[in-house]
Amino acid sequence: MSASGKTGDRPPRPSVDGAAGPPSFSSDRITFEDVSKFYGEVLGINRVDLAIPPGITTLVGPNGSGKTTLMNLMTGLVQPSRGRIRVLGVAPDEPERLFRMLGYCTQFDSFPRALTGYQFLYSYLRLHGLAHKESDRLVWEAIERVGMTEAAHRRVAAYSKGMRQRIKLAQAMCHQPQVLVLDEPLNGLDPMARAEVIELFRELAAGGRYVIISSHILHEVDKISDQVIMLTSGYVVAEGQIQAVRGEMHQDYPMQVLVRCDLPGRLAAQVFEQDHVVEVRMHADRKGLLVSTRDGERFYDLLQRLVLEGVISLESVAPADEDAHSVYEYLIGGEGGAA
Amino acid sequence: MAVYKRTYQPYQGPLTPGWSRFLVIARQAYRRVFDSRFLILYLALCMIWPAICAVLIYLRHNAGAIAMFKIDVARLIPIDGMFFLRYLAWQGSMAFLLTAFIGPGLISSDLRNGGLPLYLCRPFSRAEYVLGKMSVLLILLSFITWIPGLLLFGFEANLEGAAWFRENLFLASGIFLGSWIWILTLGLLSLALSAWVKWKFVAGALLFGVFFAAAGFGAAINEVLHTQSGNMINLGELVRTIWSGLFRVPVSTGLTPENAWMALAGIYVLCLLLLDRKVRAFEVVRS
Repeated sequence: MSASGKTGDRPPRPSVDGAAGPPSFSSDRITFEDVSKFYGEVLGINRVDLAIPPGITTLVGPNGSGKTTLMNLMTGLVQPSRGRIRVLGVAPDEPERLFRMLGYCTQFDSFPRALTGYQFLYSYLRLHGLAHKESDRLVWEAIERVGMTEAAHRRVAAYSKGMRQRIKLAQAMCHQPQVLVLDEPLNGLDPMARAEVIELFRELAAGGRYVIISSHILHEVDKISDQVIMLTSGYVVAEGQIQAVRGEMHQDYPMQVLVRCDLPGRLAAQVFEQDHVVEVRMHADRKGLLVSTRDGERFYDLLQRLVLEGVISLESVAPADEDAHSVYEYLIGGEGGAA
Repeated sequence: MAVYKRTYQPYQGPLTPGWSRFLVIARQAYRRVFDSRFLILYLALCMIWPAICAVLIYLRHNAGAIAMFKIDVARLIPIDGMFFLRYLAWQGSMAFLLTAFIGPGLISSDLRNGGLPLYLCRPFSRAEYVLGKMSVLLILLSFITWIPGLLLFGFEANLEGAAWFRENLFLASGIFLGSWIWILTLGLLSLALSAWVKWKFVAGALLFGVFFAAAGFGAAINEVLHTQSGNMINLGELVRTIWSGLFRVPVSTGLTPENAWMALAGIYVLCLLLLDRKVRAFEVVRS
């Protein structure tokens, strides 16, 4: 799990969790080993190494950064130009095995005309090879799970955008796959529905599934994700837990910490003496500081010491840029802008 | 990172045989077809000519009816290769129109809406998808071509006796093979055009164009160059040449059955290449 700057060649990504080198294929990870995809002369993704664990993983990046390509490679819908991919040990060119364990929700609104929500799910389950009785049971389970029971026998063509999004989610998970690949699943959902769907993702992940999501909505990425993969121009520029990724960037982008205390002036005088502190800014109400530091650990040690010695009394301490939005801005923001 | 406990239960029940899954697509399509009153009416119309043929066969063998209607037996159409060739030619025309209604919309809407990934993210291949879509036409067209054709043959054989059946068995194989050649030609062409232009009405117009414009162009070549080689691009003449061979009826298309088979095989290969290129989950668009 790591972050890197983008370079013309393969970006070096130092390991955070101690795993050196490319990921090895295992039956409990989704692994990409030196994977590239070129569409003719157009780059899709380049030299990607990943090992995605269970939980919710969000792909973040501007339009054209390679998120959908990564998902399509995972689902075997496009073949890599080089490199190897395994989904829990299964190659994407083994559809009979792969799609028993994987469900995909595309970003397109593409429904066969004249079908009801129930028929839509039922037909696709039959394509999976399930018999009538089992299909019927699983369709109702999935429909109930996405809260569409009332609308199940209405035509999909008459559904609202949010309802279509939910029925698409239902079709991706109705055959009870272990891996869910969801391209922009929150698009078009109102805040209430978003909250419900996010809760559903959490439930699915809590059961041990792999939920891979692409999203443009950065403030929700923090809430949803166990880990993120940040992409730009076909390169993975960061992967892992947001805090770990942010921690790797302290040299280039000093960490910002908001401190509210009784004596901010005294605190400012103390922190200015530290060589790792880059900048200190006083709040407008003069009751707090925004400290930029290249070494968060040493800064927190200092803060702890000052409190224990009674130099200051703390009201609150919070990282100001340890979220997906800040990391995205630092790594991609200048060239992306889609978020 | 959160600690996850594997609590979900994957489906581990029985599965239907892989070969039968393409029929799910046909079932889905028939739901739409039979929602259309126009198409139901048209399918009923398609049965009129086989019914007339059955009446003609019946009349030839019913002395009472011949006497009652004072029919000159010599003027009744003989039940031979030409009879079944005409039957197939008429039913083939009806099959063409039915294909023009249904075929162009089979793939185009999925491709235009990006719907292919929905099918292909199952244990379901591109070939099965095409087969599923084509089976919609294969089954419907069978019901208006070789199935009633073989029933007519059986009817005639029943009235004529075993000797006629043995002598004319080639007619039954002609009906069956001739129908399938036509059905495959229509199915492949309509699906390939549907995948190529991704627009139902344009694909429908192109289907007419392939048959009639190519026939006109072929006729122009024949006229200008004083040859009959122009018939090589006339699909109707190609199929007529093959049918005439199957029913042992001489026709003057200027083509040998071998040439017609080769030209038709070339068209099939072109259609399959087009389908292979276009029916993909994601199409690469080069700017």
